[in-house]
Amino acid sequence: MAFEIKKVTKTYKMGSEIVSALRGITMEVGNNEYLAIMGPSGSGKSTMMNILGCLDKPSSGAYFLADRDVSKMNDDQLAEVRNQKIGFVFQTFNLLPRADVFHNVELPMVYSGMSSSKRRKLAEEAIEKVGLTDRMKHKPSELSGGQRQRVAIARALVNNPSIILADEPTGNLDSATGEEIMSIFDHLHRAGNTIILVTHENDIAMHAHRIVRLKDGLIESDLLNQKHFAA
Amino acid sequence: MKSFHEILESFHIAYGAVRANKVRGMLTTLGIIIGIVAVVTTMTAANGLGNRFKESISVIGSDVLFVSRTPWIFTGNFFDFRNRENLTLKDSEKLEHQLPAARAIDPRSYTTQSIKYRSKQLENITIIGATNNYILVSNAAPEYGRFLISNDIQYKKNVCVIGAEIKEQLFKDVDPVNKKIKIGRHFFLVVGLMEKQGSASFFGGPNFDRQIVIPISSMMKCFGGTNRPFDIVVKAPSTEEMSDFEYALIGEMRKIRKLTPSERDNFSINKMDTLMNAYNNVMGVVVLIGLIITSISLFVGGIGVMNIMFVSVTERTREIGIRKAIGAKKKTILIQFLFESSSICLVGGLIGLLLAFGVTKLINAFLLPASISPTIVAVALSISILVGILSGVIPAYRASRLNPIEALRYE
Repeated sequence: MAFEIKKVTKTYKMGSEIVSALRGITMEVGNNEYLAIMGPSGSGKSTMMNILGCLDKPSSGAYFLADRDVSKMNDDQLAEVRNQKIGFVFQTFNLLPRADVFHNVELPMVYSGMSSSKRRKLAEEAIEKVGLTDRMKHKPSELSGGQRQRVAIARALVNNPSIILADEPTGNLDSATGEEIMSIFDHLHRAGNTIILVTHENDIAMHAHRIVRLKDGLIESDLLNQKHFAA
Repeated sequence: MKSFHEILESFHIAYGAVRANKVRGMLTTLGIIIGIVAVVTTMTAANGLGNRFKESISVIGSDVLFVSRTPWIFTGNFFDFRNRENLTLKDSEKLEHQLPAARAIDPRSYTTQSIKYRSKQLENITIIGATNNYILVSNAAPEYGRFLISNDIQYKKNVCVIGAEIKEQLFKDVDPVNKKIKIGRHFFLVVGLMEKQGSASFFGGPNFDRQIVIPISSMMKCFGGTNRPFDIVVKAPSTEEMSDFEYALIGEMRKIRKLTPSERDNFSINKMDTLMNAYNNVMGVVVLIGLIITSISLFVGGIGVMNIMFVSVTERTREIGIRKAIGAKKKTILIQFLFESSSICLVGGLIGLLLAFGVTKLINAFLLPASISPTIVAVALSISILVGILSGVIPAYRASRLNPIEALRYE
C-alpha cells in the first residue's frame, strides 16, 4: 500500500472563526495507483494535498505513508519524509531561479546526503527521462513552461519517492503542452510510480484511473475511471 | 557526510546570492571592511607603540638596576619621597665594596647646561657625570675616539664623550675629537663620540643621543659637589638572578643608609620592568578604549549585514518554501543563511585586513614600528566570522521557522 488516511480532519482558525477544511476523510491508495483528487475551490482539495504532501499535519486522524504514521511527526521528521517519500510537482513549477536544471534536479539528493558522483548519475538519469539532457546547464528562465514542468517532474522523480504529488501540473500551460506533460505522468505510471493528481480540470483528471471527488471537506465520490477499464 | 553536503550547498547558495546582488553585497561588505580596518589598525598601532617603547627602554638594559632617591614612577604620597636624602659618591663606594656580586657599579650625577663650540651654542643639554664603568652598564659603545678611563675620574680631568646628535649639531662634518667645547663656564676636551643609540625619547624620556658624559669627579669639581641628583647604576650578574640580586642590593643599601628594621627604605630601586609595567598599565586602558570605539564601527557594519539578511530572507521566502518542500530541515535553512552572512563578513574581513596591511605600512613608514602579527590576523578573521554569525542568526532563525505552505504561496 502506498498510503492510508483514517478519519483525517483539518480545522483552521481564520481570525475568530474556525473553518473546517477537512471533516473526516478515510481512504486507501495502493502502490502504482493513478489517482486524481477533484473538487471545486473550497472543497478542501488544497488542504488534502498539503496533508498528503506532509507539508501540514492533520488536526485529528492518522496518515500512514509507507507504513509509518506521519501525523504525529515533528517538522524535521516531516522534512525527511518529504525528501524521501514524496515528489512534488507544482502548478507554478517552483524551481530555484538561480540554479540550473541539473542543480534543481540534484537538490533533493543534496538534502538526503548523497555523494556527488551518485547524485550526478541519478540526476542525469531523471533529466533524460523527461527529455531535457541537452538543457542540463540552462537556468529555468531560459526554458519554456513545459520544459520547466519537466524539470520539476525530474526533480520529483529523482529520490524514487513512494508517491508523486502533482498539484494542478498543467494549470500554467497551454493545452497542447499540458497534454505533453500528462503523457509523461502516464508514462511514469506505467513504469510503476504511484501518482496523485490534484486538479479541477476534467480533461486532466481523466488521465487517472481512479477519481476522488471532494465537497465541503468530505469525499463525495470515489470511483474508478471507466475510460481505462471499459476496454 | 550529510552535513558536509549541506555546507557545500550552503557555500554554493551564499556565493550565488552575493553574486546576484553585487552592488548590495559590496555596500554591505563595506561596513565590515571599515570596521575591520579600524579595529586592526588600532591593534597594530598599539603594537607599534609597544615596540617603540621597548626599543627606547632597551637602552637601559634589562639587567640594570638604578638606585635612586625617588622612584621613576610615583605611586603613593609624594611627601614620603621629598625629604629623602640624596645618594652620594660615598654610598656608591661602599656599595661597590659590599656587593661584589655586581658586575659593575656606576655612580651617576646629572646637570643641564648650555654647551658651546666656537660660535655654535646648544641649550639644555643633559650632562652626565659618570665613571669608566658607564660603558659596562649601558649598552652603548664609543663609535670613535675613546670612552672615559679611570685616570680621567681619578684626576678629575675635563674630558667628555659626546652623543651622536650633539656631534651632528655642534660639529657637522668636523672631527670632534681633541676639540675643546664649553660646558657651562668650563672647557672640556672631547675624547670620544658615542654611537647612535636611536631616538629613545618616548613620552618625554631621555634622548640618549643628546647627552654628554663627563667624569663624575669633574662634575662635582665644576658644577658643585653637594646636594646633586645622584643615581647608582648597578649591573646584575645576569638577568635570571635579577630578583635575588635586587634583594641583596636593597639589603646592602639599608646597611649603608643605617636603617633599623622598622624603618622603611629611604631610597628607590628603578629598573626597566618598572617602566614596562607602568607602560602596560597605561596602554592597556588606552588600547581597550580604542578598541571599544573602533568596535562601534564594526558593530554598525554588523547591523548593516543583519539588515540585508532580513531583506534577503524576505526576498527568498519562496525559495525557502521550495527547499523545505523537497526536504530541507530547519537546521539546513538556518545554516544556509548563517553561512551567507558569515561569508559576507569574512570577505569583508579579508579585504579589511588587506587594507589594514596598507595602512600599517604607512604607519610603519612615518610613525611607529607597527606590524600585523598572525595573532591579529586570526583575531580579525574570527571577529568577522563572529559578527557574521551574530548578525545572521536572527534573520536565519526567522527563515528556518517559515511555514513551507505559506512560503510557497508567497509572491
